[in-house]
Amino acid sequence: MTGWLGALVLSATVLLVAMTIVAYLTWIERKVAARFQNRIGPYQVGVPHGWLQPLADVLKLIVKEDITPRSADPLLFNLAPVMVVAPALIGFAFIPLAPGLAVVDHPYSYLFFTAFASLTLLGIFAAGWSSNNKYALLSALRMVAMVASYEIPLLLTLLVPAVFAGSFRLTDVVEAQRGLWFIAAPVVGQVAFLVFLVCALAEGNKVPLDLIEAESELIAAYNVEYSGIKFALFYAGEYAHTLAICALAATVFLGGYLGPAFLPGVVWLLLKILVLFLGVLWIRWSLLRVRIDQALRLNWMVLLPIALVNLLAAAWWVARS
Amino acid sequence: MSAPIEVVEREFGELALNMGPQHPSTHGVLRLILHLSGETVVKADPSIGYLHRGVEKLSEHLAYDQLAPVYERDDYLAPTANSHAYCLAVEALGKIEVPPRGRWMRAFVAEWQRVSSHLVWLGTLGLDLGGALGGGTTLYMHCFREREKILDLLEELTGTRYHTNMNMIGGCRYDLDGAMAAKSVALSAEIARALPELHALAGDTGIFRERTEGVGVITKDLALSLGVTGPTLRASGFPTDIRTAAPYDAYPELRFEIPVRQAGDALARYQVRMDEIAISLRLVDAIVEGLPPGPLFSRKPIKNPKATKLPAGETYVAVESPRGELGFHLVSDGTAKPLRLKINAPSFANLQAVPHLLPGGLVADVVAILGSLDPVMGDVDR
Amino acid sequence: MASARAVFQGTLLALTATLKNAFRKPNTVRYPKQKRTLPGQWRAGSFALTIDPATGEENCIGCRLCEYICPSEIIAVTLRKGEARKNGIGATYCDVFTLDYQACMQCELCIQVCPTDAIVMTRALAPVATTRDGLFLSKERLMANGRELVAEPALTSQATGTKLREWTDAARGLPPAEPKTEGGA
Repeated sequence: MTGWLGALVLSATVLLVAMTIVAYLTWIERKVAARFQNRIGPYQVGVPHGWLQPLADVLKLIVKEDITPRSADPLLFNLAPVMVVAPALIGFAFIPLAPGLAVVDHPYSYLFFTAFASLTLLGIFAAGWSSNNKYALLSALRMVAMVASYEIPLLLTLLVPAVFAGSFRLTDVVEAQRGLWFIAAPVVGQVAFLVFLVCALAEGNKVPLDLIEAESELIAAYNVEYSGIKFALFYAGEYAHTLAICALAATVFLGGYLGPAFLPGVVWLLLKILVLFLGVLWIRWSLLRVRIDQALRLNWMVLLPIALVNLLAAAWWVARS
Repeated sequence: MSAPIEVVEREFGELALNMGPQHPSTHGVLRLILHLSGETVVKADPSIGYLHRGVEKLSEHLAYDQLAPVYERDDYLAPTANSHAYCLAVEALGKIEVPPRGRWMRAFVAEWQRVSSHLVWLGTLGLDLGGALGGGTTLYMHCFREREKILDLLEELTGTRYHTNMNMIGGCRYDLDGAMAAKSVALSAEIARALPELHALAGDTGIFRERTEGVGVITKDLALSLGVTGPTLRASGFPTDIRTAAPYDAYPELRFEIPVRQAGDALARYQVRMDEIAISLRLVDAIVEGLPPGPLFSRKPIKNPKATKLPAGETYVAVESPRGELGFHLVSDGTAKPLRLKINAPSFANLQAVPHLLPGGLVADVVAILGSLDPVMGDVDR
Repeated sequence: MASARAVFQGTLLALTATLKNAFRKPNTVRYPKQKRTLPGQWRAGSFALTIDPATGEENCIGCRLCEYICPSEIIAVTLRKGEARKNGIGATYCDVFTLDYQACMQCELCIQVCPTDAIVMTRALAPVATTRDGLFLSKERLMANGRELVAEPALTSQATGTKLREWTDAARGLPPAEPKTEGGA
């Protein structure tokens, strides 16, 4: 009895906490981005620092009119936001929060996480196609070309921590970092992390690789026809996806919940996620966007070979020691 | 019964995308009908006229003295250039002398507005290339932060930020005293100090070079056949600048370089404009230093505008606006109102390069090319 | 194409530039709690018909010069003959004076031609209204603004008609003309 009840309570807690963090990630992003631009960011709603701004945004989006274009494919159009948000939220189930504590502690949780993370692709493609809008279609085309290509080096670099840990269970991967975080593994760890970072930027649609929702060319691209709560789901889905990727990176490269004992493991995990998120923000708000052919060339000519060689080097290193 | 919707795709098999009048990157209300094959542009049809306000027709109904503020709304990023060209045209036709101090003050405001216009160009180019949710906005905010200081200076000098209505036929209105001159010198030093940071966020970034190098090349032949002017022309290898070719106001007495590049691509246009910012900042200091004493205005105070009659005839005078050669062709029939006034807008000629430059590039190149041409739709449509 | 090294260095340059800015003081002015002082020659304010503080009479003599010069043709003035003015400048007043602020482009030409400095701009923010009528400045509103200026002269824009004509005087800054000799050649 306590088994499934405990799991239910835990998953509800994780989900709620994750959604609140996602909402406040938007606040962090706006304040940090503002600082990079010599501004303040939101400060009126919830004086003095505007910390109620996410609440105001969510409320506004909920009460907006929910328009479905007459010529849009109704099933896919309404399902697409869910297809974007749900895989990211499911990913949170696999992240270990404390030794032995994860919502789902499965021998192959690492693989499940990466599998679910790539389902977002389907959701965005569904949105792009079903909107019956040429701008959305262009973005769907780019998404298929680009994000699918960037999945390959992403998975190859994500295999490196699994190779080091010798297991696909995320708790084992974290425990294997008790001596040394995998990012600190000589050369192999750093290269894996850097390639992972670039691929994560592509997966999460962040500048410089945010071609599929390039605002200046395709305006809102795949979510150009969405309004109201469906747009809110896309918006939250983007941040949830970023949060999931940062959580994964914190778990497999930065040691997850490991840290000195004066703070609980969950707090260490959150701190590492925050640092990674700030790094993503820093990159995002400084750089310009690359073109699709340059992005694809980067992937196939640079990232894929490096990721392959890196994986082989990691395997050789593990076999040697 | 509504009119049938035009189906552009019938003449072309792939995708016809309407980069419509409402678009974040078309620099105003420009409609581009793009024929795409996948991501590559096959044909591009620009469609203008969405910002046409009938200024040239309005000119036939207002008197000469009333018209100077009206033209400032054409090229709304460097407004004084418009009224500057107009006043020069009227003064040429009416043989009206402008005192030296008036001429130098006109050049002062013209150069500050050149810096301001180029800062807007750079900021919006950043938005185009980097997106509203990314590094482009950072570049945009930095450019506009510097520009706000220039606008504050102009506000203190004239009363408004950029439709300064500085120029009148016969001279200009506002004067620079010692305190304002010191502020101008301090500001030009401050903006010159901020320029390396703008370079760091734009041209020195490898990604910017990748996006603009070899993109939108205007060859020498194309430039000459289209009649492009301004930085677009100078980036294609022609050292033509109205300020030295047909000097006016203070420019015969000022020494400055003309930046020229040979490549003709978007990167060359970027480099030319960035050099122009630095040169204009030095020019402003030179103007402040060499400002001759004397009156600003040479005619009697304006009373009834219908009293100012110009002799019959026609003339064409051009100035170097930040976009190129901005010329006014004025035809007078001896009354107090122009018979016909035609504005030769630089953005109109520069925009004609679009159907030649876009095909063969990707959709992402469209915004890079439009941004590097720097059209202002108020100037194109008038 | 730019080399990988150039891209890498350029990226680092952009990242450092942004990081440096993160630690500078923000430029935001927290309006409306913080307001900036408007410059002396503010032209984006409202209009006022001034009142002579010495005699208490309105300065407008109904000459309609502002109506004739306005490029947007938004001013409408009618002349009224009345009793002689206390300051000796004729005996005319304005009967109707309306200014449609919606189409005003703040060119200051009306200010420039006014011979008595009757119409001036105020150093306050432009009038805000929720209806079109709210932006149609009648003589009552203009006179009310003028009375405000009598109470607080600092609200007047520095660029009055007299000052503008002084700045654009054709003899300004020139040495005084040589006195003509009697019966010159």
